[in-house]
Amino acid sequence: MKGIFAVALGVLTAIGGFVDIGDLVTNSVVGSRFGMTLTWVVLVGVVGICLFAQMSGRVAAVSGRATFEIIRERLGARMALANLSASFLINLLTLTAEIGGIALALQLASSIEPVLWFPVAAIAVWIVIWRVKFSIMENVTGLLGLALVVFAVALFFLHPDWSALGSQVLLQPSPHTDETPATYWYYAIALFGAAMTPYEVFFFSSGAIEEKWKKKDLAQSRLNVLVGFPLGGLLSLAIAACATVVLLPKGIQVESLFETALPVAQALGKIGLIIVILGFVAATFGAALEVTLSSGYTLGQFFGWPWGKFRRPASASRFHAVMILSLVVALGILFTGVDPVQVTEFSVVFSAIALPLTYLPILIVANDPKYMGDEVNGRATNFFGLIYLGLILVASIAAIPLMIVTGAGA
Amino acid sequence: MTQKRHLPPAPAVAGRVLDAGLDLLDRQILDPDAVPVSTVDDLELTTPDDLEHLDPDSPPIIESLLTGPILLTRIFGGRLPDSRFIRIPWKVVADPGTVVRVGVAADSLDASWTERWMRDHVIARIPGGRHDPE
Amino acid sequence: MILSDLLGSPVVTAEGERLGVVVDARFALDGPPDGLLAAARLHGLVVSPHAHESFAGYERRDVDAPALIARFLRWRARGSVLVLWPDLASFSDDVIRLRPGATLYSPRFDSSES
Repeated sequence: MKGIFAVALGVLTAIGGFVDIGDLVTNSVVGSRFGMTLTWVVLVGVVGICLFAQMSGRVAAVSGRATFEIIRERLGARMALANLSASFLINLLTLTAEIGGIALALQLASSIEPVLWFPVAAIAVWIVIWRVKFSIMENVTGLLGLALVVFAVALFFLHPDWSALGSQVLLQPSPHTDETPATYWYYAIALFGAAMTPYEVFFFSSGAIEEKWKKKDLAQSRLNVLVGFPLGGLLSLAIAACATVVLLPKGIQVESLFETALPVAQALGKIGLIIVILGFVAATFGAALEVTLSSGYTLGQFFGWPWGKFRRPASASRFHAVMILSLVVALGILFTGVDPVQVTEFSVVFSAIALPLTYLPILIVANDPKYMGDEVNGRATNFFGLIYLGLILVASIAAIPLMIVTGAGA
Repeated sequence: MTQKRHLPPAPAVAGRVLDAGLDLLDRQILDPDAVPVSTVDDLELTTPDDLEHLDPDSPPIIESLLTGPILLTRIFGGRLPDSRFIRIPWKVVADPGTVVRVGVAADSLDASWTERWMRDHVIARIPGGRHDPE
Repeated sequence: MILSDLLGSPVVTAEGERLGVVVDARFALDGPPDGLLAAARLHGLVVSPHAHESFAGYERRDVDAPALIARFLRWRARGSVLVLWPDLASFSDDVIRLRPGATLYSPRFDSSES
């Protein structure tokens, strides 16, 4: 049993990156419009996040410093402040979406209006952050979030045309699609950005410190990365594949979690629906926890406050105050009636700024013997790290123009 | 005008050498129990008596680490009045490494004022605030 | 006086030639004890003709990786020099003037230090 829980941090981090509310819907949208032709982006994203999460986990274990602390030390206060502002806004918008997502998932289960679930969801998230130990939190949400594996199961029960799926993976578009190249690339960047969202590394490296990983735990850190993120990628692809098989041929538009869940209901009936709803609730709840804690971590680490769930709240007061405030603001935004999933569209804009400002300092510090001793990066890691830094820069420059040109993928 | 000139190495110094921007600024300050105090946002140096004719024998020395609102003036410009400085005296600094360690408890320093305020007036008032998570 | 007063200030030689701006201040802990450590006296200023701020100090340290980044940042910080305190004449109107015959040193750390 210990074996599964040893990778809980990696799994929970991956949930926030690959199957949070934004991704649940986007993966389904992508499958219903592009088939499997964007699979390569998910694979590129998985490799990228594995590379950098592994670096930041290693830096945290060896030097005891979490990623955002390092960002300020190596980039200087000005750039770190720019990153902080962008990251904080991303976190806030994403948190709003996740709380909304929890409510939408609960609506699927109960037919009660989401608006009534918003405060319940926000308070539940707060209670877990306030009182529940980090390890219990990650074990429970990680494990329950794996219920989303039901999408992979459903895929088999749908008896898809495997060779058609396979040819789409190799970039042969399905006969049912007629999207413009600009929209294709917009979604490519959106998927890449989602796979490598900065709050994943902030959460993973801070989580490494919460778990008190030291140099001797480097193997465990590596295992978390190599199990968690590929698993997240696989879940993403399974959701897209189900949409490809069920929604694409009929031209069904994905507008909510309902359409996302449709293939599973079709393949596995009521049981499948129950499991998938459980998965939705667990994944959005886990993502909400990850994003809320990220807000606390980034602000606390920038300003040098005591932070961490390993401290009692009274010993990390500003850290907890910031998180409470974030939840309150997120709730406020939700009560204005805005569509929570649409809200995440705009966080793509801020991601464009936050991505390069997050990954460059990680690469620099992972090479600095003053922090890493003799655990500095090898040549292969640096080689791929620089390539990915280039990809990240391209994505961050192209994101906003593509968003404008395609009307955010309409 | 840039010429490639061969620069002689600086004379050796009998003690530790620190570059303020590289080694001190923006570093985390920890107390002896590894409790974070704040970040180093600026440094307060002794002011030379005569700025027009600097005395080669009395270089400025670091009086204190500064933190708090001075970060904003450092980034955006402007000048914070001396009375508003939040100081951590150089006397309490024990080790300026990748993390700056001070020799006194965080709670005893001015710099932890906002943390203590938030604790006493907000967080400790919420049920469970003083308990370890379970 | 605070550190930010120095950082970013232009540095001019006695002959009026502009050397660059102050990107960092070097301190030496070789004085009498001041609390738990020795007093930190201002040893010199690192002046760069190009970079407005030094970025991660690649030009002064021996860290060479990642190679592309190290090379780029070293190139950006090319031409930086260290001027020692005794060679500073005045600091007024936000400009630092050097004494005549001031020596310009390499800002690289000796690998035996720190």
